[in-house]
Amino acid sequence: MPDDKSAIRNHIRRLRFEHGEMTQDELGKRVGATRHTIMALEAGKYFPSLLLAFRIARAFGAGVEQVFEFAEASGPGLSAS
Amino acid sequence: MTNSEKWALWTLGVIVLTMVAYFTFVALLGSGPASQSVFALLALTSVPATSRRHLKGIGFDEREREISGKALLAGLRACWVVFIGLVMATGWVKGWDATLAIPVWMLCATIWWAAMLVLAVESVTTLVLYRKGSNA
Repeated sequence: MPDDKSAIRNHIRRLRFEHGEMTQDELGKRVGATRHTIMALEAGKYFPSLLLAFRIARAFGAGVEQVFEFAEASGPGLSAS
Repeated sequence: MTNSEKWALWTLGVIVLTMVAYFTFVALLGSGPASQSVFALLALTSVPATSRRHLKGIGFDEREREISGKALLAGLRACWVVFIGLVMATGWVKGWDATLAIPVWMLCATIWWAAMLVLAVESVTTLVLYRKGSNA
């Protein structure tokens, strides 16, 4: 069974640089997370909660879908029972 | 390195120290109540909780909480598996109708070892999850 989460990508690194080369620490402080968590997010090692995703998007003045992207490759994962 | 990883390494160090001290005491004093005093070393695991970060009141973010929860669960699961194994093994070896009488110090030692197992598995899981990612 494919892991749907592996299809979630984010543009946090690019957005940080587009926003005055914002540091990971600075972004972390804005959204209530540690620098290590921002690093893990950028590396795709961690997928944030909806709340943190909204906070990150808000920090960049963008929508959630502008920061996080779901690349649906093999159709929806849920099937009718 | 995050504070949680530092805690995990510290805890593993304390466990190793306690085990070394325990087996040294057992070698010198023999297995008995006196050897149980070394388990007081486990109190050192609480030292990182009074670290600078803790005193500043800085909380953990959602990833740290998630990893902490998963690690604790792994520790408790390991303890549960060992407990079930011990119960089954005792039943098979001694017989299910046998009566066991053990000294209180041995019961206390069992609880200390169980606590060490939980802490050790929790620490290792914490380190692994920080390395591989909490979604691993």
